[in-house]
Amino acid sequence: MAVVTDQVTLTVDGQSVTVAKGTLILDAAKKLGIEIPIFCSHPKMEPVAVCRMCLVEVEKMPKLQPACAVYVMDGMVVRTRTEQVQRYQNGVLEFLLANHPLDCPICDKGGECPLQDQTYTYGPGASRYDFPKKHFDKAVPLSDKILLDRERCVLCWRCTRFSAEISGERELALIQRGKDTIIGTFNDQPARSEYQGNWTEICPVGALTSRQYRFISRPWDLDRTATICPGCSMGCNVHADARHNRLGRFQARENLAVDDGWLCDFGRYSFPSFQREGIERPRVRRDGRLEEVSYEEAMAAAAQSLRRAGPATAGWASPAATNEELFLFQRLLREVLATPHLDHGRGRGEAATALEPDDAALPIADLERCDHVLLLGGQAVIDAAPVLHLRLFKSERKGVRVHRVDDARAALEAVPAEAQAVGIVSSLGRKPEVDSLQGKLARKVKGSVRRLLVPDGPNGRGATDLGFGPGRGPGYASLDGKAGRARPDWEAAGVRALYLFEASPLHDFQASGEEREWIQRLETVVLQRPRPSPLDDLAHVILPGRAFVEKAGTVTNMEGRVQRIRPAIDAAVVRDDWKILQGVAQALGADWRYRDPDEVFADLSRAVPAYRADRIGERALWSERA
Amino acid sequence: MPQTELLETALEEARAAGYIGRNVLGSGFDVDVLLHRGAGAYICGEETALLTSLEGYRGEPRLKPPFPAVKGLYGKPTVVNNVETLATLPHIVRNGPDWFAAMGTPTGKGTRVWCMSGHVNRPGNYELEMGTPIRELIYEHGGGIWKGRSLKAFQPGGASMMVLLPEHLDVGLDFDAIAKAGSMAGAGAMMVMDETTCIVDVARRLVKFFEHESCGKCTPCREGTYWMANLFDRIEFGEGKPGDPDLLLDMGYNIDGRSFCPLGDASTWFPRSVIKYFRDEFEQHIVEKACPFRGEREAVA
Repeated sequence: MAVVTDQVTLTVDGQSVTVAKGTLILDAAKKLGIEIPIFCSHPKMEPVAVCRMCLVEVEKMPKLQPACAVYVMDGMVVRTRTEQVQRYQNGVLEFLLANHPLDCPICDKGGECPLQDQTYTYGPGASRYDFPKKHFDKAVPLSDKILLDRERCVLCWRCTRFSAEISGERELALIQRGKDTIIGTFNDQPARSEYQGNWTEICPVGALTSRQYRFISRPWDLDRTATICPGCSMGCNVHADARHNRLGRFQARENLAVDDGWLCDFGRYSFPSFQREGIERPRVRRDGRLEEVSYEEAMAAAAQSLRRAGPATAGWASPAATNEELFLFQRLLREVLATPHLDHGRGRGEAATALEPDDAALPIADLERCDHVLLLGGQAVIDAAPVLHLRLFKSERKGVRVHRVDDARAALEAVPAEAQAVGIVSSLGRKPEVDSLQGKLARKVKGSVRRLLVPDGPNGRGATDLGFGPGRGPGYASLDGKAGRARPDWEAAGVRALYLFEASPLHDFQASGEEREWIQRLETVVLQRPRPSPLDDLAHVILPGRAFVEKAGTVTNMEGRVQRIRPAIDAAVVRDDWKILQGVAQALGADWRYRDPDEVFADLSRAVPAYRADRIGERALWSERA
Repeated sequence: MPQTELLETALEEARAAGYIGRNVLGSGFDVDVLLHRGAGAYICGEETALLTSLEGYRGEPRLKPPFPAVKGLYGKPTVVNNVETLATLPHIVRNGPDWFAAMGTPTGKGTRVWCMSGHVNRPGNYELEMGTPIRELIYEHGGGIWKGRSLKAFQPGGASMMVLLPEHLDVGLDFDAIAKAGSMAGAGAMMVMDETTCIVDVARRLVKFFEHESCGKCTPCREGTYWMANLFDRIEFGEGKPGDPDLLLDMGYNIDGRSFCPLGDASTWFPRSVIKYFRDEFEQHIVEKACPFRGEREAVA
């Protein structure tokens, strides 16, 4: 009796390969290192087999078969480089280029264009098409973010399928038919999707391009840096591409566990906020005027003023600061200045809810493995971390029931008792509600209930883990009755000096009018920030630091994943923030001798064992905390 | 009376007689017939494009498998039948399968309706026993070639089928015989062309039809039919180049069997067959830089 397995064995170009049933010829060939050219096929979308680039010979089948849409069978014999296939590949590329404008020299895609690359690899050297080319509209604005060049479009359907299958918004569609077919939005209305930048990345030609990146660079002139998006606590992996030391664009750097290969437009197009517009010098206020000084003078001046205030100092750090910076800053405040008043909350009226390790107990990718997900707060939660929507939509397509609810009672009712794995996704602001809902659900349902809360900023999670708040020390250590006060209470607590560390214009201090009046009355305001801030007027010492894209370190995303950020831009003489913090501490008499952020991380690991240098890229291991 | 009204009337009669609707003839079985008008797109004759169109989407063929019998209309198993099949059924039911099978040839039984157009004296629909010689259809039923002219060529099965010549007149009207002669019986649309017909122009018009009807889903059909139409235009209007017939044959190689559905494949069959039989006419167009039939040309159906 034949052994029934889930594996099938086939040969591709004479080489044998065993793959799982349900594998496409394309992927079986890939496993052997055999490339079959494609345009329409995309690993995250259903096969459509419309571009006809991937046709190969399959024994016993009279016609060439699309490798992107035909599933393997046991004993199948596939040939990808026969005379017939190669002659046809020449033919289909000649078809695709017949009415393509061949304006590669002025096309943003040139140099990283699958149509260009495959024409060189598989195409004819010259075209026999000698008629005037069809003309379509060029540089059509689909929105304030995207331009569509209908002449370059090869109608691969990737963008329309993204719109239908990945984001679920169905904003892009095919219009007209035959040779007149074009891509567009309904009634030419501007596209409103928050995920349009992805269209430009999946477009296999230069049809869909980012307005922001238009004519900025040739791809081979870009310096590419693997880092993390500064947009929110999702922690999407990005390539920061820079030319001549200026950012040109962010592109997705697929991390299946985090972003699944996609970015949101808020994050992708946030990079101009981090663009350096010149080199700033530190300044110290003397006789009411800010005067340029050296870093050493500025740090000494800051130290002198802070020493006077001592425990009456309060420190605020942006939730965009790195773990290393936050760790040093909390040491500076707690150990050197002996003050307990730390906070990273933005806006004075914000309730002082602190995250717990369990708020990251539900990893992002596990949303797909829940049977019910409660999105408590609905679109407001998505707005705080837009790529979450793509993961939730993907989960729904896989059969997960996603309930978008706004009150906890409806949430409780939505989930049946027989649920096996329930996830709650909400924002930090709704933590008390989520905690109570989780308790009730745990009693109601058979299976597990886990939660994932979206904190503010790319490192709100890290700020809490490292104890950058008034209530807990690094690693949630108890402060033994020495808890400080949160930002809303600093005035009442008699705070006289403020050390503000604004790490990102997207996640700045955001002082209310009332708060500004209070700050104005303080005897010392030290402001460390990457670019001019509305608080500059109130500062006594300004310490220019680096932008998110200019420094090294780690940040922790909403699910507790500790990820590396790397400098994409050389900020030259602008001092690294961790060095400034160390400099101020040294000026206050501390004997700190860190030589780089890795040394800070080593120290941080000792205080917070859940953070381990050998596990960067993974989620922090709080279960080992005991 | 428009066909839809006729059909609606028939359906009302059937409903009134209890043949369709709830509880058919007291059997407890419910079945209804819904008439849905197409908007005329040729591609919607392809069974999966028809289903997609019925669902309200763009008329475009679907990837097969899954075949409609497994996953068809609204994802449910679906049988797609031609009107021709449905029209034959009542007679088989009424007279029995033996009656039907007694007609025709061993491989093609029964009768078929041939829709004859073009240069015959009596164009029209003729229901003939399968296997009837083509000569009988054209010369007896159709009354022969009009205006006393002689037959140049005919296309036996519809807009996509390969051309046949007077030497094929004794071929029988059935699927196997026509296939053996190098064409296909297809939809049974017989187009007859007299000696004054410019075959290049016929091919040009047919290719333009396919270019117009291509849904645009796949590259070979979308780009290939457009390119072929351009080539035929220039040959017919005296701008052809010596390599054009071979270029057309090569495009046939890159379209036929490579397209997503048979529409693209079929767009190449007639042009390639006329290049095979009438290459000299192509060359005459190209060398003389004009259509040799200009002036004596009559409109083709």
